[in-house]
Amino acid sequence: MQRRVGGGGDGEMEEEEEEEEAPTHLNTSTCGHFLVISTDKLCAKYTGEGLHGNDVGAIQGNRPAPCRRLLYYFEMTVKDRGFKGCTTIGFTDDHFRNSRQPGWEPNTYGYHGDDGKLYHGQGKADSFGPTFSTGDTVGAGINYGAQEIFFTKNGKLVGGTFNDVKTPLYPTIGLHSPNEKVEVNFGQRPFAYDVEAQLKKERERRRKAVENVPLSPNVNHSIVRSYLLHFGYHDTLAAFDAANGGSFPPMLFTPHEYGNGTLDNDMFALDQRKMLRRLVRDGNIDGVFAKLREWYPQQLQQQQEHCSNIIFLLHCQKFIELVKLGMLEAAVTYARTELAPFFGSSPDQDLHLQDCLALLAYERPHETPMAYLLHFGYSELVADAINAFVLSTNPSLPASGKSPQSGLEKLLQQLTACLAEKRVLNGGQGEVFSLHRILQGGKEGGW
Amino acid sequence: MRVCVIYPKSSSKKVITKEEWEKKLSEVKIRKEDMNKLVMNFLVTEGYVEAAEKFQMESGTQPDIDLGTITDRMAVRKAVQCGQVEDAIEKVNDLNPEILDTNPQLFFHLQQQRLIELIRSGQVEEALEFAQEELAPRGEENHAFLEELERTVALLAFEDTANCPVGELLDISQRQKTASELNAAILTSQSHEKDPKLPSLLKMLIWAQNQLDEKASYPRINDLVNATLEEPVT
Repeated sequence: MQRRVGGGGDGEMEEEEEEEEAPTHLNTSTCGHFLVISTDKLCAKYTGEGLHGNDVGAIQGNRPAPCRRLLYYFEMTVKDRGFKGCTTIGFTDDHFRNSRQPGWEPNTYGYHGDDGKLYHGQGKADSFGPTFSTGDTVGAGINYGAQEIFFTKNGKLVGGTFNDVKTPLYPTIGLHSPNEKVEVNFGQRPFAYDVEAQLKKERERRRKAVENVPLSPNVNHSIVRSYLLHFGYHDTLAAFDAANGGSFPPMLFTPHEYGNGTLDNDMFALDQRKMLRRLVRDGNIDGVFAKLREWYPQQLQQQQEHCSNIIFLLHCQKFIELVKLGMLEAAVTYARTELAPFFGSSPDQDLHLQDCLALLAYERPHETPMAYLLHFGYSELVADAINAFVLSTNPSLPASGKSPQSGLEKLLQQLTACLAEKRVLNGGQGEVFSLHRILQGGKEGGW
Repeated sequence: MRVCVIYPKSSSKKVITKEEWEKKLSEVKIRKEDMNKLVMNFLVTEGYVEAAEKFQMESGTQPDIDLGTITDRMAVRKAVQCGQVEDAIEKVNDLNPEILDTNPQLFFHLQQQRLIELIRSGQVEEALEFAQEELAPRGEENHAFLEELERTVALLAFEDTANCPVGELLDISQRQKTASELNAAILTSQSHEKDPKLPSLLKMLIWAQNQLDEKASYPRINDLVNATLEEPVT
């Protein structure tokens, strides 16, 4: 049962990852002597002589390329090719040497304007694409999805290199002959190259790869059915089965009848769970207590000894129902007799008690942060807790102490964990998977 | 696009024990309301009207489209599944005439289905007339349509349609195909995604596991229905 502290329910449980900031301008603190940078830190001019391999004027962006996404991209426009047009665009890492062109050192990449070659830290370069000069706009990007570094010229893709992309990588430019001058674009202006289209293509490629995975059509139905069974949504299940042409067998109260498969466990005590859920939905908490005492006296006793959840939740829910009915005096009496004893046994429970009691303070509790307690969604959670309790009394369950989970939940946990682990092993690259955002219809719930 | 270099990936895999993995799993919080939404989305997209209504009552989950529109859509789908194609066309035009107007391929497939039903019921003359008047003009506009038309008309040449090369056209699955295409078009026209999200997520799980297999050894789930964790393969 999740605890909600103060600010209440629907949606503040999202763990927002910190916003990753992208580079916005050139980093003047690590650039060398051979460059002069404009005041807006977006233009660079070479002031050296360009005589040897160590008087390059190279400079990085002020931050590394953000990696919690599918693509990163930036551009550079050559304002003046100077004597030899040795301007370069690419990426470098933390071991950046500002007197060397990007691409000359290991784990750096550079597309060089004078020979049109791609340097990627291997010493010699591969012939790659066209040279570029005054008036040309070239771009460099990282495709985390495909694990490649790619380059563009004047809005057209030139090519790329596939590699295990080792982040962090910094967008970097290099100049090496007198009078060379360039201007960078970190996104403050529209790009010459249609990055959005590439991003769309990458998403589409992944979507297709997933869609092509074979899946037996019956699997979906089984999972949905087992979900409905697990949570005791009896009427829905009956309608679902009827529509599928199956007959729904009425279950009898015989907890010892069922075997070990998950489906059998999901069917355990279905009638009881259905009835209990309905009682909660109707606000009849006394009814819930009565049935639980009748059916599970022993387990309830154990619960009481561990000062545990179910009893506590039910008392709180009874209190909430009284508040809903406007019977505030009765609510206060109830709080004094039944809720007060719970104070001090657990900080989580105390917080919850505070939230519940706070309802008394307002004339219109529906308009306060505690309003979530009065919504149907909250009573659903109480019903789920009771459902889990009943399922846990199933004698054929292994004594692991874990509350039983629906198959669907396990599958979604596995999906989330696999994608998270994949990101970790990729050095944190790629979009963060968010089931919640996918279900809200976002295209960027990503993976 | 010119590709320069491909470096082989390193081959050592990270090993994750079942215990470690179960701990990671337990740290993933899946919200009940998200799962409810997923199930509701499935019921609605697949057309389980009654089940969706009951689910709304029992779980408090709001369906993402008006349940009334599902009934209409299901009526159309059923009509095709029963071979009542003319009826289906009328119904879908009542719902939204633009659907067929903007979907020439769909409309052709519906007409093709009509032809198949005429042939199935042995109405040879009507079938030929229909093919010549309604389908042939479409075939002239589009080569793919023409091929389909020729395949369908070929049915008439065989007495033993069950064993002829184009016999599959008479199969129930052909009706299902047409029905699904129509269902998808209606959903799209209602700005609803035509595919339920659940199968995509399950496929994503299989895909994610295959991808992770390249870099780590960990407990997989191979049996989706029972969602059991396997022992990690070393």
